[in-house]
Amino acid sequence: MSGGIARGRLAEERKAWRKNHPHGFVAKPETLPDGTVNLMVWHCTIPGKAGTDWEGGYFPLTLHFSEDYPSKPPKCKFPQGFFHPNVYPSGTVCLSILNEDSGWRPAITVKQILVGIQDLLDAPNPADPAQTEGYHLFIQDANEYKRRVRQQAKQYPPLV
Amino acid sequence: MADSTTDDLEPLFDYRRVQPLNFVCIEDDGSDASPVPSPKRRKIPDTDVVKVDEDVEVIKVVNVEEEDWLAPPPMVSTDAFSKIGEDSTIKELRLRKQELLSFAQSTKNMLLEVEESVKRELSGSLKASLDAVAEQPKNPTSERAKIVISIQNEDECKQFRVYMDDKFERLFSMYADKAKLDLQSLVFSFDGDKISAAATPASLGMEDDDIIEVHVKKR
Repeated sequence: MSGGIARGRLAEERKAWRKNHPHGFVAKPETLPDGTVNLMVWHCTIPGKAGTDWEGGYFPLTLHFSEDYPSKPPKCKFPQGFFHPNVYPSGTVCLSILNEDSGWRPAITVKQILVGIQDLLDAPNPADPAQTEGYHLFIQDANEYKRRVRQQAKQYPPLV
Repeated sequence: MADSTTDDLEPLFDYRRVQPLNFVCIEDDGSDASPVPSPKRRKIPDTDVVKVDEDVEVIKVVNVEEEDWLAPPPMVSTDAFSKIGEDSTIKELRLRKQELLSFAQSTKNMLLEVEESVKRELSGSLKASLDAVAEQPKNPTSERAKIVISIQNEDECKQFRVYMDDKFERLFSMYADKAKLDLQSLVFSFDGDKISAAATPASLGMEDDDIIEVHVKKR
């Protein structure tokens, strides 16, 4: 029953996205090898904001929705080992609006999630570290942190 | 007796609807002392009485017309006149009018002919073998499904109306022209995938108002 709600909402989200989304972002439900669409997993791209060290990077992000969506937020994952103070080694993003006990509200849209994560890229939250490397460099070695961020942006060039 | 005839006539023409208005005028002019229309209207539900009234009144109308419309006869007489021997100006005018009419008609015909010949040429070049049959399939093709697609860059979104089965290369070069950009430096993507120039909106399963993103390659 709740699965019906989740899928209905996701179908709406997808429809809205097709008609209107910020430039450079991609968000589409995964297509299985047999051609069917799985609305519960979305493959997204977040562009690094212009004017920041993240510019030029197009970072792949996967959204995993549960049957309890939108009561519960989706799990948002960058590739494993993604360099950022608030990304767990597994790639899972740590962000208040993605925490069901904190900032998540069912009304938050996929677009808001992706834009929120784009904002997080250049504005890490040192109060809530999720990996040691990114956190330590951010706190202790701004230059090295910057270099690592730029290097990572080059690792994810535009797909087109 | 009268009742039976009116019964027969009634379905042919319902005088109740027409008469009252005419009557007010005519009767006023002719000062004819006849049943006033307003009471008649009130009587409508009572069909028998009304019908009798109507019969009488119909006759009166004819009378009134003959007398009151004596003024118009001049028109009739001119008509008759023209049939016998119209005076030269009127005749000239009439001829002129006919001439103009026929001229308008011939221009219309010419336009139609040109249109048709163009159509024939088109269909002929498309399907040389089936000339007559080509006219039928032409309609569906002229009503090819259209779609509105937005092309989005960093700053704005522009809408374009294209055919579902039209290759993107046409839209792309149109966009490059409008934006005054080199087509070679532009990359168009849909849902993160590059769109090939040979693809069509239909082949990508696109819907109305879908967004295509345009990226300018940095060299």
